[in-house]
Amino acid sequence: MVRHIIPNNLNEALNFLNEGPFHIMAGGTDLMIQKRSTAGTPPKFAKDVLYIANLAELNYIKKDEAHRCIRIGAAAKLEDIYNHVDTPALLKDIIREIGSPGIRHSATLGGNIANASPAGDSLVALYLFDAEIVLLSVDGERIVPIKKFITGVRRIDLRSNELIKEIVIPIIPITAYKWYKVGGRRADSISKVSFAGVYLSNFGLVADIRFAFGSVSATVARSIELENSLKNRPIEQIIGDLPRILEEADKMISPIDDQRSNKIYRRKVAGNIMERFIKNIA
Amino acid sequence: MFDPNKSTPKIDHEEKCSGQAVYVSDITFDDILYAKTVRSTIAKGYIRAIGVPTLPRGYHIVDHRDVVKENYVKMILTDWPVFAVDRVNYIGEPILLVVGPDKRVIDEIVSAIQIDYEEETPVFDFVNSVVNKSFAKGDYSQAAKAAKRTIIETFNTGYQEQAYIEPQGMLAYLEEGGKVTLVGSMQCPYYIKNAVINTLGYPEDKVRVIQPAVGGAFGGKEEFPSTIACQLATAVVKIKRPIKMIFEREEDMLVTTKRHPSEITLEAKIDENNKVLGIKAHVSLDAGAYIGLSGVVLSRAMLAVTNAYTINNLDVSGDVYVTNTVPTGAFRGFGSPQMIFAIEMFMNHLAKDLGLDPYQFRLNHLVKQGDLTSTSGLYRDPIILKDMIGKAMAISDYQKKTEEYAKLDSFKGIGMSWFLHGCGFTGDGESAHIKAKVRIVKDEKDVVHLHIAAVDMGQGARTSLKRVVAMALGVENEQVVFDYPDTDLAPDSGPTVASRTMMIVGGLLARAAQNLKDNWKAGERQEIIENYQPPQYIKWDESKLQGDAYPAYSWGVNIVEVEVSPVTYEVELKGIWSVYDVGKAIDERIVIGQADGGITQGVAYGYLEVMRHENGKLRQKNLTDYIIPTSMDMPPMETIIMDNPFAYGPYGAKGAGELTLVGGAPAVALAIENAIKRRVNRIPATPEHIMELLNNE
Amino acid sequence: MNSIKFNLNGQDVAVELNPSLRLLDVLRDHFHLTGTKEGCGEGECGACSVLINGRVVNSCCFPLANANGKKILTIEGLAATKRYQILKDAFHIEGGSQCGICTPGMIMAAESLLSMNPHPTDEEIRIGLSGNLCRCTGYNMIIKAVKTAAKLGEGLW
Repeated sequence: MVRHIIPNNLNEALNFLNEGPFHIMAGGTDLMIQKRSTAGTPPKFAKDVLYIANLAELNYIKKDEAHRCIRIGAAAKLEDIYNHVDTPALLKDIIREIGSPGIRHSATLGGNIANASPAGDSLVALYLFDAEIVLLSVDGERIVPIKKFITGVRRIDLRSNELIKEIVIPIIPITAYKWYKVGGRRADSISKVSFAGVYLSNFGLVADIRFAFGSVSATVARSIELENSLKNRPIEQIIGDLPRILEEADKMISPIDDQRSNKIYRRKVAGNIMERFIKNIA
Repeated sequence: MFDPNKSTPKIDHEEKCSGQAVYVSDITFDDILYAKTVRSTIAKGYIRAIGVPTLPRGYHIVDHRDVVKENYVKMILTDWPVFAVDRVNYIGEPILLVVGPDKRVIDEIVSAIQIDYEEETPVFDFVNSVVNKSFAKGDYSQAAKAAKRTIIETFNTGYQEQAYIEPQGMLAYLEEGGKVTLVGSMQCPYYIKNAVINTLGYPEDKVRVIQPAVGGAFGGKEEFPSTIACQLATAVVKIKRPIKMIFEREEDMLVTTKRHPSEITLEAKIDENNKVLGIKAHVSLDAGAYIGLSGVVLSRAMLAVTNAYTINNLDVSGDVYVTNTVPTGAFRGFGSPQMIFAIEMFMNHLAKDLGLDPYQFRLNHLVKQGDLTSTSGLYRDPIILKDMIGKAMAISDYQKKTEEYAKLDSFKGIGMSWFLHGCGFTGDGESAHIKAKVRIVKDEKDVVHLHIAAVDMGQGARTSLKRVVAMALGVENEQVVFDYPDTDLAPDSGPTVASRTMMIVGGLLARAAQNLKDNWKAGERQEIIENYQPPQYIKWDESKLQGDAYPAYSWGVNIVEVEVSPVTYEVELKGIWSVYDVGKAIDERIVIGQADGGITQGVAYGYLEVMRHENGKLRQKNLTDYIIPTSMDMPPMETIIMDNPFAYGPYGAKGAGELTLVGGAPAVALAIENAIKRRVNRIPATPEHIMELLNNE
Repeated sequence: MNSIKFNLNGQDVAVELNPSLRLLDVLRDHFHLTGTKEGCGEGECGACSVLINGRVVNSCCFPLANANGKKILTIEGLAATKRYQILKDAFHIEGGSQCGICTPGMIMAAESLLSMNPHPTDEEIRIGLSGNLCRCTGYNMIIKAVKTAAKLGEGLW
């Protein structure tokens, strides 16, 4: 018989987890569907379930001036993150296009990360900002960069006695950003291709540039090497380097055919977006 | 004086807003059992053995051995089994039901059942023709000789899923005396009743069908619910307890009927004056594993070959092919959307090939009153299509936008379709097969009750048919009652399909009401029965497909404006304008509701909705992957209904339901052509397809 | 079995049911509140929309456990309010209901939207209802209905 635990506070949750393993349920918008059974019957869970959505200790969004970052509690709802004054504009744009209001009112950023879907839109921004995931257990905290935390399709580096406590998003100076979500329709859709790009330019020189693709690889695709090759160069030079950039960007991704799109399209559109992003640097 | 256009409160508005309207899934009984279907997991083969675990007490298996009389679902033919016997022909074909009180236990039994198949090579191509039809007009070979040019093109269309928001479901129980009663989500109570009578071998008075609120149908609940009904009727006779079977979305999408994928080849013979002398057409439809209604769908597709144009020489043929895929069936438009897409694109392409302005070229071929239809029937009634076109062009600023968007890199486009839809059943369907009958009863309190089998599945039939009777009687709406159909009370007024409800059933009701009014005896119970009489002028030869295929035609113009992203190839709808002639709109708000919803489905068919199978397995099996429009996808719409009363329709009304869908796909496809400067011969024109088109030239 | 307590349509209730049950099933099967509909069972169609602490959510992917301590409003609860009367009238005026299966969910989404944004633009209404699929109307009459409700119900939200 599967146990269902609704802890009263974070400590209680951690103590239960220590006796794990558990499925950790946040908003439920992914997990409830993945485990769903016939209507009217409970979802099929192979492990015990720990419900963390209502833990106040995990429900916050705050700016940490000292560390130049935003700290988002794992159980903060997407809608609250969207509405928060300190949320980076890029992340807001992304959240606005995730699911629908009904989903955003219960889905959490922690859940989106733990779900580790190749099409998880918020992950694209988190990779871009080099976000860190703060994990918590009775043993204490463990901090893992997002790109290490997500180890593959629906695979994460979470120990059985840990939960995601918060997501730390560094605040970085940005001149402009661009977000593309290419889905099947204009709302309530899963991405076929997604892209986030940011850059910082000073007097015609690109000081920082970052870009990442979603839905076209097992995990978010970002190339630090390619980004570094463009830093501290004049804009015109970067634009002149477009053929090489596109060639390199193309190597970053490995799209597939599925029920939503095909790899030729995904590859082509990823290239088009990259081209548009680079050409629009100013 | 009552104004037919005037809108009155929808009689089910209150209960639908408050959630009090009762749909089949909302009904329950204390001793209810649930049923789940075990289905084929292979596309073609023999069933060698079925391994069933020992059933706990109170759980049952129901299969073909339990069928009392006929193990086929009575539609037109006898090819569609209630339960598979020893072979299966598509993935999802029902083999047996597991019935019992606890859904969890049912799930366990279902997953423990093992079926041993001997697989055969399935067929997915157009090779097995099971229905072949043809007809001619004039002399195509003569036209071919006189022509200076021949142009041939082929068009392809995909599946479309009805995607009603309420999945299919049915409830069966026995009444005193063993009467089998079925309550379910349906369009055609008598199709179900007749199918169940056939399968059980019961007399008419031992089967009853009741319609609760229906959460959308669009053709998907025309013939398919008969299959569920026959299965549940078989189960209820065996088990003798109420049984409910509600499909979940995935089951619904995988196994219910869809719009037929098609391939249409058109060949035009054109003379030196750029006049189309003749068209040769061939239509191929994919029926899936069983024929069902496909032959009738084929007829409608073929008859629509000339759409709103007059072409004097035709050679039209078509085939229905069976394949090892889910059976296709009725869907709003019924074969016509495929053909109207093809012919509208073709006429535009011909103009371009001839170096002519498509608008002028099409106008030169436009139907006029007195012309002969594709089957050499007569367009008897006034046709106001030219005015409608002018109106639609004016409100959409069509001319100016067409010129502006012709610029190579505009990536904006506007497209216009003209179309007709034959109202009611094709050919002699009404008089030879349906023979509709309506009954109205006035009680002692002078309240008038409508007893008809017409289903309100959202289109507002309860409100507008009631309105017709109230108007004919000259009484207030409140004095007329139209409850949900129950075959114990309502005679067979025919199925709720084919845009026939207002024109045919409404017409009968208006006559019945007039009859009642003429013989009104206050305070006395009176009953009027009215039978369908075909208009005398109708002449139809079913064997040759010649004559008047429909008693009347409704007409429409759709204009769609789009913008295509040169980066992602996504299509954004910028505006939709429509003008319709439905004779006379009974309750204009209801008709505009039909118009908005119809064109949404039609446009989405053209650019958005993708469903494909891979080796017989549908890849889009839920509303996450089968994409229908959201509120964010649809642009503002402007719809104008122009009066053109039909002499034989109630208050001048003709059909409206399907008309509003059939022109959507070509309008959006033409807009996309205009935007990307490439020809579209295949729908849906998805971003993936648009990319291919842009890459290939 | 845990007891899960919440406020349902203004009444405090406690249930001892499997906490992983979908709120949708609890409402329909346990409380017989069948105005909340199931259309897809996976958070796409919004027919199962209810309000949790005033905000619309899909009850088909909302576990009962998460309802603990919350205020839940279903269409049956909303139907007793003045706001509902306004919404219902506006849906009537603009022709916003057809088959009705999406209608309660649409009205819940509209209530959620208007309570946060009493004067939404057309675009904001489209976003607010973007999780509620309707196959009958093409949405425009519903968009107009919400706009009309905002006008008729001025000051209510």
